[in-house]
Amino acid sequence: MIFTILSVILILAGLIFFLGAAVGVVRFPDFYTRMHAAGKGDTLSSLLVLLGFSVYQLRDFQSFSESWIILLVILKLIAISTFFLITSPTSTHALMDAGWEDKVKPEIAKGRSNHLEEDAPKR
Amino acid sequence: MITKVLATLAVVITGALLLYGTADFPAFGDPHSPASAGVEGGAPSISQYYITESYGDTKVPNLVTSVLADYRGYDTMFETVVIFAAGMAIFAILRVFRDEDDLEPNPTHTQGDRFIDGDHSRIIVGTTVRLVVPVIQLFALYVVAHGHHSPGGGFQGGVILGASFIIIALATDLGNALSRFSEKSYFTLAAVGILIYAGFGVLCQVLGSDFLDYGVLQKIFLTDGPEMARSHSMLGVEVGVAFTVTGIMFAIYANLSSRGTLKSGL
Amino acid sequence: MIFAFDIVILIFLVVAALIALNVKDLLSASMIFGIYGFLICLLWAEMGAVDVAFTEAAVGAGISAVLFITTVYNTRRRSSD
Repeated sequence: MIFTILSVILILAGLIFFLGAAVGVVRFPDFYTRMHAAGKGDTLSSLLVLLGFSVYQLRDFQSFSESWIILLVILKLIAISTFFLITSPTSTHALMDAGWEDKVKPEIAKGRSNHLEEDAPKR
Repeated sequence: MITKVLATLAVVITGALLLYGTADFPAFGDPHSPASAGVEGGAPSISQYYITESYGDTKVPNLVTSVLADYRGYDTMFETVVIFAAGMAIFAILRVFRDEDDLEPNPTHTQGDRFIDGDHSRIIVGTTVRLVVPVIQLFALYVVAHGHHSPGGGFQGGVILGASFIIIALATDLGNALSRFSEKSYFTLAAVGILIYAGFGVLCQVLGSDFLDYGVLQKIFLTDGPEMARSHSMLGVEVGVAFTVTGIMFAIYANLSSRGTLKSGL
Repeated sequence: MIFAFDIVILIFLVVAALIALNVKDLLSASMIFGIYGFLICLLWAEMGAVDVAFTEAAVGAGISAVLFITTVYNTRRRSSD
């Protein structure tokens, strides 16, 4: 019972972060902030949902010799989480990099200078 | 404008006819539909036979694999040949053997060698690819080898294995991927895959049975009965399919991305 | 098989297909076609055809999107109609 409640809490937290990412993608002003919302929110919420799944698997865990197959499922979920933790920020970075190479302008408040453009190496 | 209206009209009418046709279908998963239960007073259903008998016939728990590679083995062999023919067609249409100076260069191509280790502007993507590609290839081999017991098999595993080389080409350069998996290698691999599949069929004929009737191969695999011989032969056949699909997937990508020159690509 | 889930995925499928047909930018069209492939993979997995869903996830959502994008990269990006 406790595992079910815990997993529901984790999955709901993940879904809330997913909602935040979706709202951020729609509402943020320019390309870079949108990718920021998508990358961060996506990674954390997917990890939370996968963690919720693995906690849910523990609900009828008896002993190691009886229910080792549950541990196998959890191991696979952890492997998927690790894969996601590595690849999702990288894909966000690659998209950001492609946008920067394609000279997508960031939106900057009035009176502020674009430090990225000043520091960038001359192409 | 008038063509668009006509096209929309044709699509709407066809869709309406298809929807009208689905009204007579049996419900989803209906056990009494003719496909599941057979025709009354006629022939018994073949899917009933597969569901009840395929484990006893082949000792393969995943009955999709046993239908695909054993009962319908002839069909799957020519599906593999179709994929091989697609690769040959790509080669015949796109591949050019000319010097680089004759071709007009694509202005969007960035020139230069980008290797996984050397280029600092690609260090994050390069490191991630170096970490991830072995895992992807291991997973692809697992999908091929574990196709008996879980979803998967030669096609899926081959596509994932080809995709791992495509990831290397996307993250660095086509030349880097081609130095790991050259044109000679991938076409040889594709041809060897078909040869393995057809070789299993011919081997069955040599041992005195029909083409692709794997049960007779127990004389080679030294198994107790024809069932385990069928299981082992299915694994061999799936490996052949995976070879062909791996080679052709990367061949299609390499020829498309470099306009057939295999010099500089995406 | 959950009927409400089925209907939601089917509506998304039709919307994705219509957008992929109507959008002028061919790069966007190929990305949306990848989304279409992923949705149909979800539908098949939910109907219980896991083998087909796996194939669709590998081929439809993975490789074919890459091949379309490579083709768009080497040709024109804008659709003429």
